[in-house]
Amino acid sequence: MRKPEPQVDWEARSVTIVLGVMTATAVVVLIAPSVVILLTSFTDSASLRFPPPGFSLRWYRALFDADQMQAAAWNSLLVALWSTLLSAVLGVAAAVAVSRSRSWTARALDGLFMSPLLLPALAFGFAALIFVYRMGMRPNLLFLIFGHVIVCVPFVIRTTLAALSQLDASLEDASISLGATPAMHFRRVTLPLISRGVGAGAFLAFMASFDNVPVSLFLADERTEVLPIHLWQQIETNLDVRTAAASGVIIVVTMALMALAERFAGLSKQMR
Amino acid sequence: MTSRGHRVDIESVSQRFADYVAVSDVSLSIGDGEFVALLGPSGCGKSTLLRIIAGFIHQTQGRVLFDGEAVDHLQASQRGVGIVFQNYALFPHMTVRQNVAYGLQARKWARDAIAPRVEAMLARVHMSAFGERYPRQLSGGQQQRVALARCLATEPKVLLLDEPFAALDKNLRFDMQIEVKRLQRDYGITTVMVTHDQEEALSMADRVAVMSRGRLEQVAPPMDIYDHPASLFVNQFVGSTNLIEGELLASDSWGSKVRLGDGTIMSAASAKGLANGVRVVVVLRPEHVALVDESSGEARAGRIKSVLPLGAQVAYDIETSDGASIKAIAARGVQLRRPGEPVHLTSISSANCHVFAAVHSS
Repeated sequence: MRKPEPQVDWEARSVTIVLGVMTATAVVVLIAPSVVILLTSFTDSASLRFPPPGFSLRWYRALFDADQMQAAAWNSLLVALWSTLLSAVLGVAAAVAVSRSRSWTARALDGLFMSPLLLPALAFGFAALIFVYRMGMRPNLLFLIFGHVIVCVPFVIRTTLAALSQLDASLEDASISLGATPAMHFRRVTLPLISRGVGAGAFLAFMASFDNVPVSLFLADERTEVLPIHLWQQIETNLDVRTAAASGVIIVVTMALMALAERFAGLSKQMR
Repeated sequence: MTSRGHRVDIESVSQRFADYVAVSDVSLSIGDGEFVALLGPSGCGKSTLLRIIAGFIHQTQGRVLFDGEAVDHLQASQRGVGIVFQNYALFPHMTVRQNVAYGLQARKWARDAIAPRVEAMLARVHMSAFGERYPRQLSGGQQQRVALARCLATEPKVLLLDEPFAALDKNLRFDMQIEVKRLQRDYGITTVMVTHDQEEALSMADRVAVMSRGRLEQVAPPMDIYDHPASLFVNQFVGSTNLIEGELLASDSWGSKVRLGDGTIMSAASAKGLANGVRVVVVLRPEHVALVDESSGEARAGRIKSVLPLGAQVAYDIETSDGASIKAIAARGVQLRRPGEPVHLTSISSANCHVFAAVHSS
C-alpha cells in the first residue's frame, strides 16, 4: 500500500482566492473615493488635482469664512435633527403596531412604510413637489422635513421591528399580570429593551437625511439650501477646493459618530 | 399562619380558536388555599385554561369566579393574579430589587412602603444578598425565587404556576419544589399549577386535575389518581403501566375475571359498566407485578429479557410466552433475577388490576 500523498484541494483554494479578490476589490472601491477626497482636501494648490502637489490646511482654514457653506451645513443639521426625531417617534409607533398585529392590513402597511427604501427618491421628491403645489402652497422648511421623514422612517421601523422580535412575549404577560397599564409596560419594559435598536435606526435616519439630495432638490425653498446641494453646486460652477475640505469634515465626523454608535448601541449587531 | 386563600370556581368554561376546541366545558372548584395541578400532555388545553384564569384569554363560554364573584369583565392587570412563568420572565434590564418593586409601583404603593416590602419579600425567598444583581447574573433556581418574590409581593388572590420547574435540572428541581410548596403553605395562597410532569403534579398538589383533549378526565387527590384512575387515559398518563388485552368473562362489585390471549384467566378489579364478553384492557402497574418461581393457577409463564437496576429498585422487562412484553419493578432486597431466567407472573392484588373497555383501533 502506498502512503496517501497530501492532496491540494484546488477547488477549495480557488474559492478562497476568488472570494478574497472580490472582497479586496469591494473594500478598495468603497474606501478609495474617501481616501482620495481626504488627501485632496489637504492640498496647498488652488485646484482639485489628485495627487495634490503639496499639503496644507489652507482650505480647512478657508471653511471658517465660508458663510454660505456654513449656513447650508446648519440647515442640513437642523433638517436632519428634526427628521430623526420625528422618524424615531413615528417609526417606533409604527413598528410596535405592526409587530402586535398579524392582520393583512398590518403587513400591507409595513410594506408601504418600507417602500421609500425601494422606490427612486427622485420620483418621490418630484411627486411631493407637485403635491405641494397642488395644495396651493410652496416648498418650505416644514415640507422639507416631512419629505425627509418619509425616506428616513423605514430605517427606524426596520431596526425597531428587529429589536421587538427579540423580546420575550411572556415579559408583557408578567408585566400586565403585575398590574401594569399598557403605558407603564411600554415605558418601563418595552422601550428600555428596544432602545438600542431604536438608537441604531435613528442614527441611520440621521445620516440618510443629512446627505439626502433627491428629496431636498425638490422640496427645499430658496432660503433653506442644504449642504449636499450647496456642495454640488460649488463643484459644478467653480471647482471650489473648499468642498473637498467640507467633505473631509463630513467623513471624519461620520466616522466618529459611527464609532460612538458602535460603542453605545452596538450598531452592527442591530442591523443584522 | 394567616390564610389568604380565595376560592376559585370555573363554571363550564369552553374556549374555541377558529374551529379548534382548546378547552371543552370544564368545571372545577378550587377551595381557598388549595393547590391544584392541571396535568396533561401538551395540547390538552391546560395552558389555555391557565391563561383564561389569568385573564389573558377571554373564554368563549362559561364563567370564572373568585370568591363567588365573576371576574370575566376584569382585565389581567385588574384580577390580582400572580403568575410564575416557565422562563421566569424577569425584566432583564432591572435589578432583582427593581423587578420585585415593579408590581408594587404598578399598584401605586406609597414610595416609602415599597422598599421595606421588597426587602421582606427577598428575605422570604432567601435572596436578600442578591438585590443589586441582574437576572442574567443569577442561576435558574435563583431567578425562580425572584420571580416568586415579585409575584407574591403584590399579594395576589391566586398564584398561577406555568410549568415552573421545567427549565431546572433534576436536583435543583426537587429543592425548588419543596421551597415552592413551603411558600404556598406559609401563605395559604390558592394555587393552580400547569405541568406535564406527573411526578411534579402528584408530589406537590392537594388535588390533581388530569386533562386530555380539552376535557377534565379526573379530579382527585394524588393517591386516588394513582390508585383509582377513572379512565384508561389517566391510568396510562399517570405512572408507568402494562396494558394486557383480554375478554371480560364476569364482573361484579367485588372483582372481575378476564381471559387473556394465551388462555389464562386473570382476576382483576371490578369492571363497572362493562358487559360480559367485550374486549377489555387490563392495566397493571409495574410495581404491582409479582414474580414467582412456581406456576400456579393464574400465573403466566415468561422469561426475563433485561434487567435495569434503578437504585433502590430493579426494573425487569419480561417476555410472556405469547410474545407480549411486561414491565415489572421489584425492591432490590428481593432475589435478583438474571436475563434469560424463566419466571412466572402474577399480580400482587387483583384490586390493582384496572379494567377498561378496549380502545377500538381502526
